[in-house]
Amino acid sequence: MYPEKLNQIIELFESLPDAEKRELLISYASAAMKQGPRDGDTFDLEDERKDEECTDTVGVFLQVSPQRACAFRIKLGPQVQTLTKAMTAILCKGLEGLTPEQITEVPADFVPKIVGADLVRQRSQTVYYILTRMKGIARVWLNRERSAAPHGA
Amino acid sequence: MSEKNYAHPEALVSTEWVAAHLADPHLRIVESNEDILLYDTGHIQGSVHIDWRSDLQDQTIRDYINPQQFAALCERNGISNDTTVIFYGDKSNWWACYALWVFRLFGHTKVKIMDGGREKWVAEQRHLTRAVPHFVHGHYTPPETRSDSEIRAFYDQALAQSRAGMALIDVRSPAEFRGEVTHMPEYPQEGVLRGGHIPGAASVPWKMAVKDDSTFKDISELRQIYEDEAGLKPGQDVVAYCRIGERSSHTWFVLTYLLGYKNVRNYDGSWTEWGNRVGAPIERS
Repeated sequence: MYPEKLNQIIELFESLPDAEKRELLISYASAAMKQGPRDGDTFDLEDERKDEECTDTVGVFLQVSPQRACAFRIKLGPQVQTLTKAMTAILCKGLEGLTPEQITEVPADFVPKIVGADLVRQRSQTVYYILTRMKGIARVWLNRERSAAPHGA
Repeated sequence: MSEKNYAHPEALVSTEWVAAHLADPHLRIVESNEDILLYDTGHIQGSVHIDWRSDLQDQTIRDYINPQQFAALCERNGISNDTTVIFYGDKSNWWACYALWVFRLFGHTKVKIMDGGREKWVAEQRHLTRAVPHFVHGHYTPPETRSDSEIRAFYDQALAQSRAGMALIDVRSPAEFRGEVTHMPEYPQEGVLRGGHIPGAASVPWKMAVKDDSTFKDISELRQIYEDEAGLKPGQDVVAYCRIGERSSHTWFVLTYLLGYKNVRNYDGSWTEWGNRVGAPIERS
């Protein structure tokens, strides 16, 4: 149902008691600040913007290999909430290597399985935002690929 | 805080003051945030975490906990009836003010806000720890009732305030006030069916009361904002509202403690109640 790497992360979270789940989320949140673009990185698409739906600027950078495997880099502004930071690191790891089509088909219903129902609530809904942005940039890449293809291909 | 000439300067403490009183046994420092995991990432040494939703609200109906639950919450956080509670948090102290306001609902008057909140503490590169403190349970005698009538307004009271032409302060963003958006800037929709504001309300966004470093503006600036520009007068009955009562708690604190207004109520049902209520009158401008 879920991509393999993401499923492994989901299963790990589901096996943990709440306290350890929180610790792991914080660990992922710390790792999120290392998910930004690095010197020398090149990307097929870059989408950095401040949306109404999120508390700070988020940059999503997509590289697609000749084998159509996606790699994401994500830059987060300092006001992004801790849960959203954690979800960023989880998604960068869990969706790595998928094709753009597979990215667009990832269901969002795994979020409560990772975060826990208590933490997904009013004022923490931005946990879904990063996945939406990743799917969005994958769709743009696919549209460009289709536009560039010879007619009838 | 006396240099700012607030009506109740004792209701604010500085980050310096808190840093110098971390070991004071008569104090309890409480962090309350919107970011639910922020406390876990690091907090002021000795501070406890009180969550606006899971600790202060009833988990079934939209209301606050009862006096017995409040006493139990205080006791497990090492708070007794005579403990002075210092609140701080993210978002320029929105939720710290909200938690303080809920403590006042239960008659706990020894409360203060750390001016500038978590942002200022972090900006000053003061120490944060991940160690969760453990205290000997406090002894808290619960109040007989929750004092909703003094500082809390309900829908009918806000409606009466509107119909009587009395002071209503809408502390949301200008676009929310005008009804152009039904969500708070930078946040998803929170389930409101209609946009606009309560008829007769004045728009004074909460943020007008703070400086860039999240500390409160001085008394002369606050008077200019709330009295010269919004038309409030000392002694007036005022009702403040936002979407769920947290930003209006911030304004309630400003009006009550910094400007010294004696009859300010926070309408915590706010726009998520009013904007969904069948037949509630709405103004758009």
